[in-house]
Order: sequence, then C-alpha cells, then structure tokens
Amino acid sequence: MILKKIKQRAFSNILDSITTLIIISFIIISLTTILKWIFFSANWSVVKINLPLFFFGSFPKDQLWRPGLWMSLIAILSFATLLAPRWKWVPKFLPILWISFAPLGIFLLGGGLGLSPVESRNWGGLTLTILLTSFSAILSLPLGIVLALGRQSELPVIRKASSLYIDTMRSVPLIAVLFFGQLLIPLFLPIGLEINRVYRAIIAFTLFVSAYLAEDIRGGLQSVPKTQREAGEVLGLHPLQITCLIILPQALRVALPSLTNQAVGLLQNTSLMAILGLVELLGIGRSILANPEFIGRYIEVYVWLAALYWVVCTLMALIARHLEKQMALEKRG
Amino acid sequence: MKISYKEIIQALFALFLIILICVLINNISINLTRTGIGFSFNWLFRPASFALAEHPLPYSPSDSYAWALFMGWLNSLKVIIYSLLLATVIGVFIGLSRIGKNELLRVVSAGYITIIRQTPLLLQLMFWYFVAFLSLKETVLKPIGNLLSISNQGINFLGITLSAEFSSLLLGLSVFTSAYIAEVVRGGINSVDKGQWESFRSLGLNDFTGLYTIIIPQALPAILPGLTSQYLNLAKNSTLAIAVGYSDIYAINDTIINQTGRPIEGFIILLLSFLFLNLFISNGMEIINTMITSSKNN
Repeated sequence: MILKKIKQRAFSNILDSITTLIIISFIIISLTTILKWIFFSANWSVVKINLPLFFFGSFPKDQLWRPGLWMSLIAILSFATLLAPRWKWVPKFLPILWISFAPLGIFLLGGGLGLSPVESRNWGGLTLTILLTSFSAILSLPLGIVLALGRQSELPVIRKASSLYIDTMRSVPLIAVLFFGQLLIPLFLPIGLEINRVYRAIIAFTLFVSAYLAEDIRGGLQSVPKTQREAGEVLGLHPLQITCLIILPQALRVALPSLTNQAVGLLQNTSLMAILGLVELLGIGRSILANPEFIGRYIEVYVWLAALYWVVCTLMALIARHLEKQMALEKRG
Repeated sequence: MKISYKEIIQALFALFLIILICVLINNISINLTRTGIGFSFNWLFRPASFALAEHPLPYSPSDSYAWALFMGWLNSLKVIIYSLLLATVIGVFIGLSRIGKNELLRVVSAGYITIIRQTPLLLQLMFWYFVAFLSLKETVLKPIGNLLSISNQGINFLGITLSAEFSSLLLGLSVFTSAYIAEVVRGGINSVDKGQWESFRSLGLNDFTGLYTIIIPQALPAILPGLTSQYLNLAKNSTLAIAVGYSDIYAINDTIINQTGRPIEGFIILLLSFLFLNLFISNGMEIINTMITSSKNN
C-alpha cells in the first residue's frame, strides 16, 4: 500500500525515477555536508559571545531588561494572536495591544517618564529591526489608505497628486529613499529642529511603504461592488460614512494577504539600514565581523543571521495566514 | 456662476500642497545658503578623478562626472539584463517543479522558495560575495575542466571573465528573484482550467508537449504582468550593488555626492536614471506582450 503510493508519487516512469534518485542523492550529500559543518567544523563562539549584541545591540548592561521586556511582550502577543480563538475575551483587546506596541517600544528603549534616557545610537540588534518594522508599518497603513482613497477620488487635483506621489515612490529604489532620507530630511527641516537617525529612517520607510500599501488597498477598493455604495446611499448615509463603514472594511479584508506580505518585506528591508549606519540585526553582524577578534567568521555569522531572519519572517507569515483565516470565517458567519 | 463645494475642497487642497512645497523649498534654500553650496549642475562636466573597476566603455579618472554616471548606468543595465535572463530560467524551472508530478521535487522546490523569500536580499548578496567568492582565497575551483573556473577573482567561463562583484550580484539577484518568479509561474499555470490538462491527455499528448502547446499559451496572460513587476523589482534591487562593491548607477552617485556634497542634484539624477530604466523594462515587456497576443490571434 505504502510502497504503491511511493511508486505513484516518485517513480511513475523512468524519467521520474531518475529525477527522484538524483534528488535523494543530492539531499543526502548536502545534508551530511551541512550537518557536519554545523556540528564539527563551524566555530559558534562568535555567536555565543555576542548573543546580547545580536538581540539588543549595545544597550547599557544594567538597562537590558527594557528591550528584554519589550521583546518578551511581542513573543507573548504573537502566541496570544495565534491561540486567540480558544480564549473568547482575548481577540477584542488584540488590535489595541498591537497598535500600542510600537509607542511602548519607543518609551522602553528611549526612556523618559521615570526611565533613564538611552540614546538612539545604543539601540540595535533584533530589537531595532522590530522597532523600525512595527513603527513604519503602523504609520504607513493610514497614509496608504488616504493615498488609495485619494487615487480613487473624483476630484482631479487630489487624484493627480496621489497618483504622482505613488508612481514616483514606486519607481525609486528603497536604498535611495533611505539614503536621501538621511541626507535630505535635515535640510528640509527648519534650523534648530533635529531628529535622530532612527526616526529619519522610520520617516523614509513610511513614505516608501505607504505608496506600495496604497496600490494594494486600491486593488481591494476595486473589488468592492458598486452596489455597496448605492446601498449606503439608499440608507441615507453620508459619503464619508459609506467609505469608512462599508467600503474600507471590505477592501481591507481583500487586501489583507498583500498587506501582510508587505509587512514581511518591510522587516527584511530594514536590513538596508546596515549600509546606512544603523546597527540593526544585519548591521550588528557587520560590526561584529569588523572586530579583529572575529575576523573571517563570515559563514557562521551570516548563517546565524539568515536563520534568525527566517524564523522571525516565518512567524510573521504564520500570524498573517491565521488572521486571514479568521477574517474569512467572520465573512461567512 | 456657482462654485460647488468640490471645487472649494480642491482649491484648498492645492493651496495646502503649494504652501507645503514652498515651506520645504524655503527651508532647503536657507539650509543651502547657510552651508554655502547652492544648486547647480555645472560640476557634471568637471573631471571625476576617481577610478572605476568596471566600465563597458573607455573611462579614466580625468573624464567628467557625467561620463562616470553614464558608465554606472551602463553597468546597472548590464547586471539587470543578465540577472533578468538567469532569474527567468531558474524561476520557470522551480515554478514547474513546484507543480510537477514528482512529490520529492515539489518539496525541494518549496523549501528553496521559503528559504530565499524569508531572508533579506542584502544578507544573501553579502553571503554570495564574502562566503561564496572571497573566502575561496587562493583556491581555484574547476568543476568542468578548463571551461569554467571560479576563484576569488570571479568566474571565467569559456574565456569570458566576470568579476567577483558582478558574479555575486548576478547570482544573488537571480536566485532571489527566481523564487518570486517561480510563484508567479505557478499561479499562472494553476489559473488554467484543470480540464485542459485532462483533454490534452485524452488526445494522447504527453505532458511536455501539452504543457508547451496548450497550457503555457493560456497561462501567459496571467503570468506576464506578474513577471513585469518582478523585473521592475529586480531593477530597483540591483542598487544593492553598493554592498558588494559593484559600481552601478547608485554606487557612483553615492561616491559623487560624497565628493561634491550635493545630495539634491544627486537625487534628481538618480530619479531620472530610474525613470529611464523603468520605461525601458515596461516598454520591453509591453512589446513582448503585444507580440504574444498578436501571434495568438493569427
């Protein structure tokens, strides 16, 4: 029975059998090489010694509980989201918790209100990666919605301006937006007003990502049938009420898969700040490799970073699929 | 004449935009006079006085900044075109493996896609450059005799030499984009009605002929738009060349801004270069698209 199934799935004809055998030998050879390297040849001391750096950057030693607390909260929140349907009362609070989560990060990292201030150049590692991602995501969603609505507006001036913004942003590479964000934002601000590198990066990410979100949301808006607006008008609702209460919720549900993909992409793209002088996860890896003590340990550091990014991104994707499923259920009910 | 509230809203919005732009321009001109730089493009014709490792046309440090920028643009175009071809070949192969009959092949290609898509491109590029090429040090790999040799100097294939910088960028971009192209191809082929497979099989065609003559022509309209946007992404991603030291348009622009201290002019130049590159790719794809649709109608 099992043999028959295997034959059907992997050995149905000669060509198939040859492919299967080639793949099996390829898998065996590469797995043994990789496992041998991981357990015997690789020297993981560079990762072990620098573990706090990878997670928290060069945050002051006695204050490490702050990024630590914030990261644990994310982990708890992520698992709560995944398990939410089992506990009835949790789902109501989740959206509020997720939104308040980025400002909490700024407070815990930056200090103030009783916490000793820590300068942004001491922020780093995975903590900074997640801070950049969450803050930019939360800011760019409303901006993206406004741009998408603007592009669909019947007022030509607003429509043209939104289109121009979206199309220009989408044709420029991200690294250019980030680089010029670092250089030009101080030039555009009045003298005396200065913002640090992390906030400049967040502004640049927000400006860039919102153009992409806008296009995804526009796709969602176009999928909502015209009759929905007409139904709203018949009920005597104000156009603004129709947009916010009837059209947008449906559009966002349709756009959700692409929006969450953008979020995963955003997290990966925060690594670009490594070439622009922030020590987020990839940046801290580079600065560790620049340390003479660990010189030449490229493979260990890069493999470790890839694994870390993979776990975080896959977790994000899992949460996203879970959200999509829940939304779909809601629609049916 | 009555003025409707829509016109008032538009006028107010336009006024707001104009004021915003004026405030920004005012701030920037104050900052520029303060630093004493000003705004002009005259420097474009002064000698660049930096060397370029790779230039498709003759170039020396005494040539102008404009010429150096043009070399960068050509370098970008070169790496984009090669990566685009390689990414398409790998992507189509992985995409077809993903829907093929062989279950093991499906699992392996799914693993490839998740590893590539869930790690940052910049990390992958650094991996290719520092681990795959530079860590070879003195060793020269010759997998198929003298036809192909791989060393920390790059790749030599049938007498064509590619620098380590170019090769790692080419491989990194192609592998990364191929995972996305594979998903586009898979989606396109899955969008074709399952009945089409059954009908060509019942006509006695084998899977390869059927795929090539029946399925792919129907899947192309669904595949091409996705492919175009992946190509545009590839072009934008090629600016990460700066991380592996390849002199593309962005890297040269970066050097020039550091030398001249003129970020605004640099930004405008970069914007225009990418406008051209994007037009180039989307027009090219448009031509391919019309070629395919017109050949189908005949």
